[in-house]
Amino acid sequence: MTRNIWTFITCGLLFSAAAVHAQSADIIISKGTDKTTIDASPFGASDPAGRMFIQVLTADLVRSGWFARGAQGASEYILSGSAGGGGGFVAQCRVAARGRSGTVFDRSYRGDANEVRRLAHEAADDILKALTGRDGMASARIALVGTLSGHKELYMADADGQGLVQLTGHKSVSITPSWHPDGDRLYYTSYAKGFPAIYELNLRGGSIDRVANYAGLNTGGVVSPDGRWMAMILSRDGNPELYVRRMPNGDPVRLTSTRRSAEASPTWSPDSRQIAFVSDMSGRPQVYVVGREGGQPRRLTLRGSENVSPDWGPNGLIAYSSRIGGRYQVCVLDPRSGDVKQITAPDADYEDPSWAPDSRHIAATRSIAYRSSVYLLDTLGDPPVALIDQKGDWTAPAWSPGR
Amino acid sequence: MKAGRVLSMIMLGALALAVASTGCKKKPKAGSGVDDFGGMIGTPVGPEGYGMAMNPDDLQAVASQFSPIYFDYDSSQINAGQRSSLEEIADFLQANPSTGLIVEGHCDERGSNEYNLALGERRALAVRAYLIGLGVGADRIQTKSYGEERPASLGHDESSWSQNRRAEFSLF
Repeated sequence: MTRNIWTFITCGLLFSAAAVHAQSADIIISKGTDKTTIDASPFGASDPAGRMFIQVLTADLVRSGWFARGAQGASEYILSGSAGGGGGFVAQCRVAARGRSGTVFDRSYRGDANEVRRLAHEAADDILKALTGRDGMASARIALVGTLSGHKELYMADADGQGLVQLTGHKSVSITPSWHPDGDRLYYTSYAKGFPAIYELNLRGGSIDRVANYAGLNTGGVVSPDGRWMAMILSRDGNPELYVRRMPNGDPVRLTSTRRSAEASPTWSPDSRQIAFVSDMSGRPQVYVVGREGGQPRRLTLRGSENVSPDWGPNGLIAYSSRIGGRYQVCVLDPRSGDVKQITAPDADYEDPSWAPDSRHIAATRSIAYRSSVYLLDTLGDPPVALIDQKGDWTAPAWSPGR
Repeated sequence: MKAGRVLSMIMLGALALAVASTGCKKKPKAGSGVDDFGGMIGTPVGPEGYGMAMNPDDLQAVASQFSPIYFDYDSSQINAGQRSSLEEIADFLQANPSTGLIVEGHCDERGSNEYNLALGERRALAVRAYLIGLGVGADRIQTKSYGEERPASLGHDESSWSQNRRAEFSLF
């Protein structure tokens, strides 16, 4: 409730500031969405694996933002079925609408005992799709940077923060993970061999290749949603600039020429035709957009002293981190209308936003007193949820593409 | 001022001579090297032919004598007060023509990590350009930005931040 009041005040402020800068602001008041109630108590779990399945599945449905656990006999949907092991794991899931005969969802899931969590995530996305028509995020994964081992290394977790695995062991500084649209490859910047270079990590084979290693800075490697291009920040021509290369190893073509300023943080539009990026060509870091073929960059963020770390989501909206009142806050910008919406509260710094494949949630780094962790933010107003409960600092989350 | 600079040049020169006469056996690590990750695409970093005169430990002993160059907040401009330090480095490089320099650019913790990588690179490049202006060959100076990843001071106030907005030096 306090949060709703606060959001209202902030939106008021955004409104007046935006009016001054002639940037229209259609602010959606964050109050969460109405939840569809679902009762999973009839679901039968015959052993610990079965209980884990239904627990993970219901937690996923709640985390999706569209469902709430409902009371027996008073819920809109009833989830029944059974799950258990005994020579391979099998789960049967049925969903019925209250007061109506028949089922609206009926599917079985089979796998090994160590696949229970994955199958539950799959079932959650299937049920969400069947009941609401929406894409989920439960089956997706999050790449992130952690200091658990004492160095900054890449890690990967499931959408609920569980199943954390360490991906790199460079014992160096490895940062800024991003996904190939195939969901099988990650790109990141590492000092593994001394100078900052862009690396490709293949999750299927486990191989690591250095894919950009020009003189100076090589960072920000991000592959376009169509898989054909990589945007990157290089300083090989004497200044950090934005480049594009054809995948996998075309010669990089420079898109900016700002001898007196720096470019950073490229992110692709959903149609792979444009790139948003950070530049301080105005004197302070702001978000700009340029076509894949180059041209004059257009400034997208018109207010605030510092707007950084843009992430262009599958929904066409750009999430970024904006310095507001001395703190970093996550805002969402519609590049077509210029509308801006702040989605975080000033209880902490929120940086490095990454859109989830459900186009509703955003993972971000949340920092308080110089300690960082990764949180799930809801653009429709549900409170932030901590995703990682391990020691160390956790930053730079990157959602994998949807399935 | 001038006498002090000359004295320090003599000391650096003496140290360089001392290590040059004893330390030329160890092959330096600098240079492109073998890429044990395989599949490398792009231009290898590191010109060939430098770094043969002194061994790496001795080079770093010399480099540690170079004082860092400090920058203003969100700036990569070299302040007038830092120029004598850069002249000293340029003099050393001209007296030791087989030695190469790596300029490391660093930032304070404010700002996004990715933006700071670019800002740190601009700081390193500004130092590089200044040294080239003093007559050092461009192919002898490499840049390396650490952004905010390697602070010199771990505090969270201006006194620490001002120590962290810097360029440091190593030789190869």
